Amino acid sequence: MDRMDKIKSRLLMLAVNAEKSNLPVLTRFVESTTKVSGMLRDECLSLSLATEEIFLYLCKFVCPDKPLEVHCHNGIYYVRISFSFSAKKLNLSGLNIVGAGIRDPEEDIGAIGLLIASRSVDHLDVKVEENNRILLSVTKEKSYPAYEEKHPVPGQAENLVTETPDTAKLKVFAAMTSQYYKSPYIPSFFSYPGKLVDMVQSGEYIAFVSLNEKREVAGGIVLNFWSEKILQMYGPYCFVKAREREIGEALLNACLVRLARTKAIGLFSIWGLPEALQNHFENLGTLSFYLDGKLRTDVAPFYRLLHEDPGLEVWCASSLRDYLERQYRQLALARMIKTSLHMGETISGASLFSTEMHRNQSVVILRPLLAGNDYEENIERHLRFLLDDHFVNIYVELDVGIPWHAGLTDPLLANGLQPVFIMPFAGKADLVIFKYYDKTKS
Amino acid sequence: MLVPAYVREFEPYIPSKPDEELKKLYGCQNLYRLNNNENPLGPPPGAQEVIRAFPPPRGAVYPSGDSYYLRQAIGRMHGIDPDQVVVGNGANEVIAFVVKAFCQPGDNIITADKTFAVYEWVATFSGIEARLVPLKQEEFDDQAMLGRVDENTKVLFICNPNNPSGTYWTREKLLLFLDALDGKQMVVVDEAYFEFVENDDYPNGIALIKDYPNLIVFRTFSKMYGIAGLRIGYLAANPDVADMIRRTCVVYSVNGIAQEAALACLQDDTGHIARTRALVRESRAYLCEELARLKLPVIANEGNYLIAKLPGSDTLAYRKLMREGVMIRPMTGFRYPNHIRITLSKMEAMEAFVTALKKTLNL
Repeated sequence: MDRMDKIKSRLLMLAVNAEKSNLPVLTRFVESTTKVSGMLRDECLSLSLATEEIFLYLCKFVCPDKPLEVHCHNGIYYVRISFSFSAKKLNLSGLNIVGAGIRDPEEDIGAIGLLIASRSVDHLDVKVEENNRILLSVTKEKSYPAYEEKHPVPGQAENLVTETPDTAKLKVFAAMTSQYYKSPYIPSFFSYPGKLVDMVQSGEYIAFVSLNEKREVAGGIVLNFWSEKILQMYGPYCFVKAREREIGEALLNACLVRLARTKAIGLFSIWGLPEALQNHFENLGTLSFYLDGKLRTDVAPFYRLLHEDPGLEVWCASSLRDYLERQYRQLALARMIKTSLHMGETISGASLFSTEMHRNQSVVILRPLLAGNDYEENIERHLRFLLDDHFVNIYVELDVGIPWHAGLTDPLLANGLQPVFIMPFAGKADLVIFKYYDKTKS
Repeated sequence: MLVPAYVREFEPYIPSKPDEELKKLYGCQNLYRLNNNENPLGPPPGAQEVIRAFPPPRGAVYPSGDSYYLRQAIGRMHGIDPDQVVVGNGANEVIAFVVKAFCQPGDNIITADKTFAVYEWVATFSGIEARLVPLKQEEFDDQAMLGRVDENTKVLFICNPNNPSGTYWTREKLLLFLDALDGKQMVVVDEAYFEFVENDDYPNGIALIKDYPNLIVFRTFSKMYGIAGLRIGYLAANPDVADMIRRTCVVYSVNGIAQEAALACLQDDTGHIARTRALVRESRAYLCEELARLKLPVIANEGNYLIAKLPGSDTLAYRKLMREGVMIRPMTGFRYPNHIRITLSKMEAMEAFVTALKKTLNL
C-alpha cells in the first residue's frame, strides 16, 4: 500500500447540501468519526464546534444550497475535517478568513465567521484544488502526555549506524532531543514522544536515528513534506557533541539517499543547523518571529536543492526586482526575471487569500488564491483582524511563477510587510516570503 | 482515478533545457557539456559521412522496422544469429522491452542503489518493485543481490562497468554469479561503457550468452560511438529469450539515419576507439591529479567519467559551475550526495572545469 492509499484508507466522506437543516447530520457525522479516531471528548467537541461554525457560514455566505462533500481524515496524530465544493459561479470573497463587508456592523459576525471557527482548532486552511474545487479544512491535533524521564548521553560513539528507528528508539530520540535542545529551537512535538511515533506512523514524517555499538541513541533527524515537493528538516540533533559532524553528516546523508529519485526537490531547515553542517546548505536569510507575542527570536532558514536547477521564468513588480536580482545572484539560481505591469486592464471581483493558521505559535500564513480589485483593503482587513486576534507572526507567500501575484507586492509593502527570503521551487516557481513587521516592536 | 498509484506517485525525470536556453538563463557565453558522458570526438568519420549524406527524400520513407542490416552486422561481429539481437531507440528503450517482457505487478527486479536510474524507473512506473542493494566498496554486491532474490524476482540488472562508480565485475565474478542463480532469473548486464574498458579480466557478456540462456546484454551507440543524439542501442540474448522480448517491441522506433550511422560505427577502421580511449586516459590522469591537489576525494575507475566528492552541496556546485559555463552532473539523484560526475573530455574542457571548480569552491 503506498502513502496515498494509506491516507485514503483513513478517510470518511459525507455528501450533503449546504442547508442549515442538514446541520444535525453533519454534527452526528463529525462526532462519530472523531470519536473512532481516538480523540479525547474535549478535542472532539472543539472540532465539532468549529465544523458547525463553518458549515453554517458556508450555508449563509459562501455556497448556500450547493452540494458539499465533508471529509474526515484520521491523520493518527490529528483529525482533519474538510469541506469540498465547486467554486463555479460563487462569490468566494467570504472565504477570506476575514470576509468582506465589515462596514455593516450587522455583518461583522459573518465577516469573521471563519476566524471564530479557527479559534477552537489548531489549524485552518483553504485551498483551490483541481477542477476549481475549494477545500476548506480544520485540523485538531490529539493531546499526548509529556515525557519527563532523563536519558544520559551515550558514553561512546563508535561504529555508528544510521537507521529507521523502531517505536522504542524513536521515543528515546524524542525525549533526548527535548532534554538536550531547548525551545524555541526545537518544535514542540519532541516533548511528546508518543506524538512523534504517531507522526511517523501516519506516513507524513520520516525519522532516522544514529545508534552506537551498544544500540544507544546518539542522534536523530525528522523530515516531513512542507509543500508538495519541499521537505522540512528538524535536526540533525546530535547528543555526542564530540562527534557532531560525523553523526550529523551520516543522518543528513541518510535523508538525502532516501529522497533521491523521489518527487522531493528541496530540503529546508528553519530551526537551525549545527555549524558543522551549514556548508551542506544555503542560507536563505534571517527570519524573526515572536514567541508568546513578545520575545523576538531570529532564526536562519537553510535550504538545499536536491535536483539540478533547470532555470525558471519569474514575474515581479518593479518594486521587487532589485530584491529578487540580489537574492537570485546570491543563491546562484538561474532566473529570467520579468516585470509584471498593470496596464490599465480591468480586474473585477474580490480577491481571496487562503489562511494557514498555527494558533499555538501565533503564526498565520496567507496565500493569494484569487486575483481581485481590492488588494489594499483586503490585506489591511486581514492584518487588522489577525492582530486583534493576537497573531503576531504574519507571513504572506507570493509565487513569482504566477504573474498576477506581482500585483500584491505594493499593497503588501504599503501595509508593513517586507520580503524576508525566497523559498526556491516551493510554488509554481519560487515563493517570496513576506513578513509583517510591527513598527512598534523591534 | 484512472491512473494507477504507481504511475501517479512516480516523479518524472525533467531533462535539462536546450543549451542555448541554459546559456541565457545562467548568463554564460560557452557551455562545456560534461554531464552526459558524451564522446567529445563525435561519431567515427564513416558515421559522420552517413549523417551528412542522408538524402532528404528518405525522410519520407519508413526505416527498416527491425533494423535488419544493423542486426546482420551485429550478429557477424559477435558470432551470433541476427535474430538474437533486438535494436531499440537507445538502450533506455531496450530496458523497457525487458521489463515488459518478463515482469508483471507483484514481481520484483534487483539492482544497486547507486547505479543508472532507468532500471529502477522503468520498474517503478510499471508497478514492479525495484529492490535496491547498496554498493559494496563502490561495486555491485553480488552476495547481497543473491540474498534479495525470492520467488517473485524476475530480472537482476548489473551495470558493468557501473555508472557512476566505474567499477566492474570480472569475468570470474560474473560467472560465479550466473552459476549461483542457476538460470532461475534473468540477468541483464548493461555494457553501455564496454568499449572503454581495456583490462583483460573484464568480461564480454555477449560471448557468455551461449552458456547462460538467462543472460541478456545491453550495448549502446551513445557513448563510445558518439551518436547519442540519434538514439540507438541494442540487446543480445539467447534466441528464445530474444523472441520473447521482441514481442514487447514497438517496431519502427529506430530511425533510418540512426540505423545507418550505427552500421558505419561498427565498420570504422580509422581507430576511433583507440583515439577516444587515449583521450579518456589523458583526461582522467589530468583530472585525478588536479582534484588530488584540491584535496577532493575521487572515485575514478572505468568509463569516460569520474566522480569527485565536494565539501558541500553538489546541486549548488552545479549552479555555480553553470555560471562559469561548465555543466556537470550533480550526484544526489544517484544517491551520492555532495558528489559530482564529470565526463572525461578534451583537455580544453577539463581545464575549464578545474578553473571553474576552484572559483566555485573559493580555492
